[in-house]
Amino acid sequence: MKRLLLIFLFFTVCLIPTIAGAEESYTFDLGETEKKPYHVGGYVEFKPILYGLDRESAFYKLRFFNNPRGHNLLEANGRIQLEGSYEKNIFRIYAKTNTDLKSSYSGESERSTFYELYGSAKPSSNLKFDVGKKTMKWGKGYAWNPVAFVDRPKDPDDPEQAMEGYILATADYIRSFDGPLKTFSFTPVLLPVYDHVNDDFGNNNKLNMAGRFYFLLYDTDIDLMFMTGGSRPDRYGFDFSRNITTNFEVHGEYAYFRNSRKNVLDATGIPRQIEKEAHSFLVGIRHLTSFDLTTIIEFYHSDAGFTSDEMKNFYGFINRGYDIYQSTGNTNALAQAQQLAESGYARANAMQNYIYVRFSQKEPFDILYFTPSLTGMMNTDDQSWSLTPELLYTGITNWEFRLRSGIIFGARNSDFGEKQNDYRIELRVGYYF
Amino acid sequence: MIKKILLICLMIVSMACPAFAVDGKTLLEQLDRNLSPESYESYRKLINIEPSGAKKEFTLFTVKKGVDKVASLFIAPASEKGRSTLRVGDNMWLNIPNIGKPIRITSLQSVVGGVFNNADILQLDYTAEYDVEKVDEKGSESLLYLKAKTKTVAYDKLKIWADKDKKLPTKIECLTEANMLIKTLYFKEVKDFGGGIVRPAVIETDSPLYKGYKSVMIFAKIKKKNFKDEVFTLPYMPNLESLR
Repeated sequence: MKRLLLIFLFFTVCLIPTIAGAEESYTFDLGETEKKPYHVGGYVEFKPILYGLDRESAFYKLRFFNNPRGHNLLEANGRIQLEGSYEKNIFRIYAKTNTDLKSSYSGESERSTFYELYGSAKPSSNLKFDVGKKTMKWGKGYAWNPVAFVDRPKDPDDPEQAMEGYILATADYIRSFDGPLKTFSFTPVLLPVYDHVNDDFGNNNKLNMAGRFYFLLYDTDIDLMFMTGGSRPDRYGFDFSRNITTNFEVHGEYAYFRNSRKNVLDATGIPRQIEKEAHSFLVGIRHLTSFDLTTIIEFYHSDAGFTSDEMKNFYGFINRGYDIYQSTGNTNALAQAQQLAESGYARANAMQNYIYVRFSQKEPFDILYFTPSLTGMMNTDDQSWSLTPELLYTGITNWEFRLRSGIIFGARNSDFGEKQNDYRIELRVGYYF
Repeated sequence: MIKKILLICLMIVSMACPAFAVDGKTLLEQLDRNLSPESYESYRKLINIEPSGAKKEFTLFTVKKGVDKVASLFIAPASEKGRSTLRVGDNMWLNIPNIGKPIRITSLQSVVGGVFNNADILQLDYTAEYDVEKVDEKGSESLLYLKAKTKTVAYDKLKIWADKDKKLPTKIECLTEANMLIKTLYFKEVKDFGGGIVRPAVIETDSPLYKGYKSVMIFAKIKKKNFKDEVFTLPYMPNLESLR
């Protein structure tokens, strides 16, 4: 709690002079353009969240069965990210740390890790090598990326958040041409999985190989990618992105998984593993009107997701386990449900078909740097959905103020209807330095 | 006799029209080259000024090659540092380090907010995007009427007032197809940047669509420089810092 208070105080002290100094005269100090061999920077964030709990939902019962809460839950979060780099000749090292702080009903917690830490060598403008912990971020989708084979899954609720990378070795080879094919690049990746090295990626003691071929062909971005090696089922995919007009973009991704595996429950609550080939794809558009309304629409399908019946079986299993706990105090079934949740049932967008729609209006009513937006996400299998209105203001240099809320709609046994919350209100104050 | 005079008049008129068009194109090419070498690097500061007087500043490092390739890297403020934009012809991308992958953007959007949009920030040669329809003489200035070559260009029409002696623009009006004024650019403070580059160091802009708001672009360290084509590619966008 002390650390969170410190972050809060930091904001209070920093913000006052920033606002007071907002009307200084402008100059172009050429010192700003001098390049230093090193760079140090960072980001500090304070994020209180108020949750409105749905005490009848399956995920509420799973999380709070032995520690029931009221209708609301207040949580304070803090985040500190530090980054630095040093460059000499063709070499560069880069590091980015992330510390998450949380104070909630269950006490205080802290998790610190390197999001990225890698060294680069760039012998020429068309060749670069990187070794270390790095995010690759493959794919063209905004909310989901089925072809992000060597990245952690994105949070569709907050797709622009920085993510933790994996330890890998990679290279970029780029060629440019005249004619319809303007650019070609190849990005090979070696991703080892051993004890203490990417051991959360998949099967241990494997050296995985992945690669991406990029083409800018007839003004269309096209990527072909693959991954093999045994830690995860082999997979192949492609993506594309193209501007149909200056204000209308289309994009898509497709991935094929050999021997995709998932743990499912049958109607009696017996778990079993299903292994089969799977397809996943995403199609989307991005459109900008003359009055600066940006619309993003995406449809996402994943064979590897759970069906409505599989999810109902899981919710039923939790409810039975909860009833047993209430009557006998036995937690075995709920402990097993917790394991199943961690193995896939609790991940974001765990089912098969989703639609994502986001409207953001830049600077309405001539309010500079103010962007209200409205995001909706629907599970098209059970028609449950969420709505996220958001207000973003970035008018004070290096500051970001974001007020957002999330409201959930869905019947019992539906994807969003069984989330632990009915609604969420969140304030995020961030400062870059 | 009358027939001969008419014939001569017709010949003069028919010959004068294409010659006039060529002059307009040549003049526009001169304006492009005087504003910047075909391939160069430069630094720019963009300042958005609100009616209240509040300002927000951005510093960019920009590289350009040929008629259709330009890339910019934000070096300040801290919240934008590391962001980069790339334009190859009509294609535009924005790379945000957190997001990691370049996303396609459009010319009418603005990555900095304010009156300057992406087409202004990633400006190509005017001759690459516009044809000269007409040139009027206005005392010490020429007035060029430009029409976009394709529908994908941000502004359908431009009116450029250019100093006849210096062959530099002094004012540009950006218009829609229906002649609605979108914004006006004012070119100020002609400065010698060295290497034979003498051009306005400041561009101010205002817009009837943003009443009371103003944006300013200040140029520094414009230098003729050649870059490999690979610099203007998506995979290179996170590496633009290495060119500084």
